Amino acid sequence: MELTACKELETKVIQENLCTFCGACTGMCPYFVAYKGRIVVRDTCTISQGRCHNFCPRLSVDFNGVHKAIFGTSYRWDGMGNVLEVYIARSSDKAIRSKGQYGGVVTALMSFAMKEGFIDSAVLTCSGNDRLPEGALATTKKEILLRAGSSYIAAPTIGAFNSAAQSGNKGKMGVVGTPCQVLALANMRAAPSDMQDNVKKLGLTIGLFCTWALSSEEFIRFLEKKVPLSDIKKVDIPPPPANVFEIYTASGRISVPLDEIRRFIRPACTYCTDMTAEFADISVGAAEGIEGWNTILVRSEKGAELLRKAKRKKVLEIDTMPAQNLEHLKEASLLKKKRGLKNIIQKTGNADDLLYLKADTKTVKEFLNG
Amino acid sequence: MAKGEEKTLGIDADKPGKAILLMGVEAIARGALEAGVGVATAYPGTPSSELIDRLSKVAKKFNMYVEWSINEKVALEIAGAASISGVRAITAMKQNGLSVALDFLSGLAYTGINKGLVLMVGDDAGALSSSNEQDSRHIARMLDLPLLEPATYQEAKDMAKWAFELSEKFSTVCILRGTTRILHGRGNVTLGELPEAKPEAVFDTSRSYAPDITFVTKIHANLHKSLTKISRVYDASPFNEYAGPENPELLVITSGTGWLYSSEAVKVLSAQKRVGILKLGTTWPLPNKLVAGYLMGAEKVLVVEEVDAFLENNIKERAADLRAGRTWTFFGKATGHIASFGEINPDKVINAISRILGRKYRARTSAYEKMRNDIAGSLLIPRELQFCAGCPHRATFWSIKDALRLDGRGGVVAGDIGCYSMAQGATGYSQTKTCHAMGSGVGVASGLGKLKQFGFRQPVLTVCGDSTFFHASIPALINSVHNESDFILLLLDNSGTAMTGFQPHPGIDRNAIGDSAPRVDAEKLCKALDIPVTIVDPYDVKQTRDEFLNILQGGNGPKVVICKRECALIRATREGALFKVKVNPDKCLGEKCGCNRYCTRVFGCPGIRWDRDTKKAEIDEAVCNGCGVCVHVCPRSAIDREARP
Repeated sequence: MELTACKELETKVIQENLCTFCGACTGMCPYFVAYKGRIVVRDTCTISQGRCHNFCPRLSVDFNGVHKAIFGTSYRWDGMGNVLEVYIARSSDKAIRSKGQYGGVVTALMSFAMKEGFIDSAVLTCSGNDRLPEGALATTKKEILLRAGSSYIAAPTIGAFNSAAQSGNKGKMGVVGTPCQVLALANMRAAPSDMQDNVKKLGLTIGLFCTWALSSEEFIRFLEKKVPLSDIKKVDIPPPPANVFEIYTASGRISVPLDEIRRFIRPACTYCTDMTAEFADISVGAAEGIEGWNTILVRSEKGAELLRKAKRKKVLEIDTMPAQNLEHLKEASLLKKKRGLKNIIQKTGNADDLLYLKADTKTVKEFLNG
Repeated sequence: MAKGEEKTLGIDADKPGKAILLMGVEAIARGALEAGVGVATAYPGTPSSELIDRLSKVAKKFNMYVEWSINEKVALEIAGAASISGVRAITAMKQNGLSVALDFLSGLAYTGINKGLVLMVGDDAGALSSSNEQDSRHIARMLDLPLLEPATYQEAKDMAKWAFELSEKFSTVCILRGTTRILHGRGNVTLGELPEAKPEAVFDTSRSYAPDITFVTKIHANLHKSLTKISRVYDASPFNEYAGPENPELLVITSGTGWLYSSEAVKVLSAQKRVGILKLGTTWPLPNKLVAGYLMGAEKVLVVEEVDAFLENNIKERAADLRAGRTWTFFGKATGHIASFGEINPDKVINAISRILGRKYRARTSAYEKMRNDIAGSLLIPRELQFCAGCPHRATFWSIKDALRLDGRGGVVAGDIGCYSMAQGATGYSQTKTCHAMGSGVGVASGLGKLKQFGFRQPVLTVCGDSTFFHASIPALINSVHNESDFILLLLDNSGTAMTGFQPHPGIDRNAIGDSAPRVDAEKLCKALDIPVTIVDPYDVKQTRDEFLNILQGGNGPKVVICKRECALIRATREGALFKVKVNPDKCLGEKCGCNRYCTRVFGCPGIRWDRDTKKAEIDEAVCNGCGVCVHVCPRSAIDREARP
């Protein structure tokens, strides 16, 4: 018997602990709702192949097909995906740097993209009810700045994109997202044309480097015991070898050993193979060992154009990336990819069954052995 | 004018000899009036509710005291108090209600009564509006009480009147039992005299109505002696009659609805010369001599009755006791000739008799059945049991469903008896998982809320209506406070006993006869028990859901949420719809929306329909009661509402 899309997502993704809480299935219909770190199936839908089904980055992703749809080429198993240019950079604006993560590049780029007409609004992640992160639409530079900074907590941001697109938000939208969120957007772009009404409004994707994300509800309860939630100004996980989670408050910094935090990692992150948001226009992360700077991977022509303009208009200070840094980044990406694949194979018990990941398993086996 | 006058004649008409059209329950009410009844009480329940409804309208004219009681036990206690103080009284209930009244009834059976006390019980054969179809007649046998079963509307009236005399003569409660088709069917009833004299109430303190504990067995023995005497009275009763040949090939013994069905069957089969019908109106104790006489004239006996094989087994017992040195072949429920469940009808009796007589006649052929089903299938819209358009219960269960899904811990909702019993089906999003007896939701929830030591982690909710709350929920609620159980009671306050026809209850500020009455405030009552109380408006689905979620995720102990919204039908009848609701066809994307017909398929209010041509939703103005809840349900905000002046 054919499963309905709704039931399939519930049994194959949610109940199997594969759901990343990206929010791609929400904001389009009344059936899927994001609530306190869980996707809740509110009612029973009878549609067998809905948009939710096509967009979910953990039900089925044809890496080759998606890569062709976005970059025009086949997917290569080399760790970091399609990369045109690599830099380190930081915002030229001190105010942005102090609010943003590391060099504040994402915040600077998003407001610049809006100013330059690449996009008309931006879908970002902010702290919502009870400090739980949620997607939010920003239409001004001020609103973008308000939502600067990472939380490391999984958020249903793509749901905010869906509902903004569906409720008639005018113009193009930029989205800042983690690799799974960017993968969901990529799935949308590769979906059949009758499912592309929303994604046509996507003007720019900025991906964030991500090792894993934390389960919202449980982690917030933990955090609450360390420090009053309203006192938190910013949180950070500095690149290795720091191995701490840092909480910045008005009265100073609290360091929590990462090992205390790891138990809050979403189980779904175990099966993720993407550290650098491979299907974004531009991916951004920390610059290892260079405090106050970001790493930038330019992936698409659109991303390259935005960066050129940002450089010319002095929105960003851009520099070449030290060779050692690039080497480390590649290693880390490869490590996550291999670890993710191994965990998938361990879960299925079969190297030819890669769960959501639809790829030529021969290539994958070679990659794992290489 | 004379014609118009005839139309308006009701149970209070002082027209002896005049035949008027009455419902069976109305005929019983008239019989009670002719018997000079002074007090009438009941808790509503189908098919018994009309007794008090009709008597309440003539209460002032006849100087009667009529009340809707809090429950059936109290109703019987009120009636019992009248009887022992010299005032004839009647109380009415459905079969489930008799179980509630049973405790007092069994006491009353032993203490006896004074003036005539009639207990009318409406048995819902086929469980058209009940959670069971128990046959109340067993109670009469169990408690040694006389039982009468009318077979016609005239008999319903005449028997009711006689029941008071019988009750008085033997100082015992008389049970008058009817099934749905007798109580809710209508027929001509020739009226009798209405008495002039008014009863005077006084409690004769020289007499005691407390059974002497040391003499209980003696009282029991006396009850049996009394039954023997009643059986003799029954032998001569005109409510038992026989029609047919002296020695019929087949003797049909029947009671209640079975008599008309049997008569029709014999007529259809033209078997008058072969089949005799003994109709019994007095079914416990059996009219022993009368039954023995007819048994001796027959070899084959078919018993026709609704629901259980009560008469059938008693007659078999009687036959065995006769020691006649002969045997009978009995047909009925035991042989499968008459179904031992559900309602019966002429077809079933025709089939039974033709089988016994070896006739090939079938009431309806299978081809006819097929044709009937085909035609019905093409004409009738398939509809399941559902809440009315605009019902606040639908909105409440919508919020319960959402809150429990979001909460995600597998919360359980214990159900109860009322309109909201339907919440176990699609109309209530299959939310309630238990449903047993009035008030049992709180008891069951209270029990579930005490299972933590066995690893029970699911949140527990229960629902009860305002009438059910007063009826039997309060003791269980008090129990849960004292025993520190953990659950949430959602009191679905729709301001009336909606399911049975909007009868008032202690939470309403008027009484049975429409006079203003003190209102018992459920909120204050709960607060007096130190139970935290929250009040929500179910029509505000978002606030209601959030409140449910808050409370679900809050602290321990019993909690009460009063979901207060008047029944949509009461409101709509009184002052019309709250909102004018419309679907904006420009905003409704129909099949293209991706909502998969959320409003009609999931929310399911009958006030919204799916237009097959436009493939969009629209409001059925003839059905919509204007609650406006669907405005919050549509994911595209395509439904607009406009407050009515």
